[in-house]
Amino acid sequence: MNYPQLLAVALVAPSLALAQAKPSDPQIAHIVVTANQIDIDAGKLAKSHSKNKEVQAFAQQMITDHSAVNKQAGALAKKLGVKPQDNDTSEALKKGAADNMANLKKLKGAQFDKAYIDHEVTYHEQVLDAIDKVLVPGAQNAELKGLIEKVRPAIQAHLDHAKHVQADLGKRADSGKKK
Amino acid sequence: MKFVPERLEVAAGDRITWTNRDIVPHTVTARAAGIESGELAQGKSWTYVARRKGEIAYICRLHPVMHGRLIVK
Repeated sequence: MNYPQLLAVALVAPSLALAQAKPSDPQIAHIVVTANQIDIDAGKLAKSHSKNKEVQAFAQQMITDHSAVNKQAGALAKKLGVKPQDNDTSEALKKGAADNMANLKKLKGAQFDKAYIDHEVTYHEQVLDAIDKVLVPGAQNAELKGLIEKVRPAIQAHLDHAKHVQADLGKRADSGKKK
Repeated sequence: MKFVPERLEVAAGDRITWTNRDIVPHTVTARAAGIESGELAQGKSWTYVARRKGEIAYICRLHPVMHGRLIVK
């Protein structure tokens, strides 16, 4: 039984508490910006903390991609005159992110890499779920909806990439164990 | 997130233009063939003239899960 993994999942599970059935467009815009910023911050932490090349490359990809998305989201909000509005979901996201960062900062080496990547897998799964169930169906403005739909393949690619790194880290851990 | 089409046949001397229709930046990179587009932001294009016959396997340097193949005949 892999206890560290169970612990990591338990810690991040509440991070996307999508309690709001129908967020407004300004709220959706805020959720999008918050969700991206969270992953940029985690990526920056991983880049400075991890010594694993694969983890560092993944972290850099998160920083690059989520920054690009936020640039677009900010430009669209400005164009549409939408002022991103804080809400329960974005607050829950921030709380979950703060817990995750506090947990990660306590860890080092392989433990850090594993906890970071495990969280990234869970996080991107949750974001995909939120995109499909809340954000796309909820967005009223066509351009906002279009932006979120356009982001989806990148999130899916990040999830695939994170799972790949997760599997590689697992292999390393296994080969390091005594038989 | 992928190259469309993933496999493209062209004649030697053809100009091939990649346009990034995604929201995140991408590259067209084939180190062995000396191809490097640099980072292309959303909407940006990059053109390559295929002079030498053969097969070129390329990736996006930022997203190595993206693969493409250029066949120059």
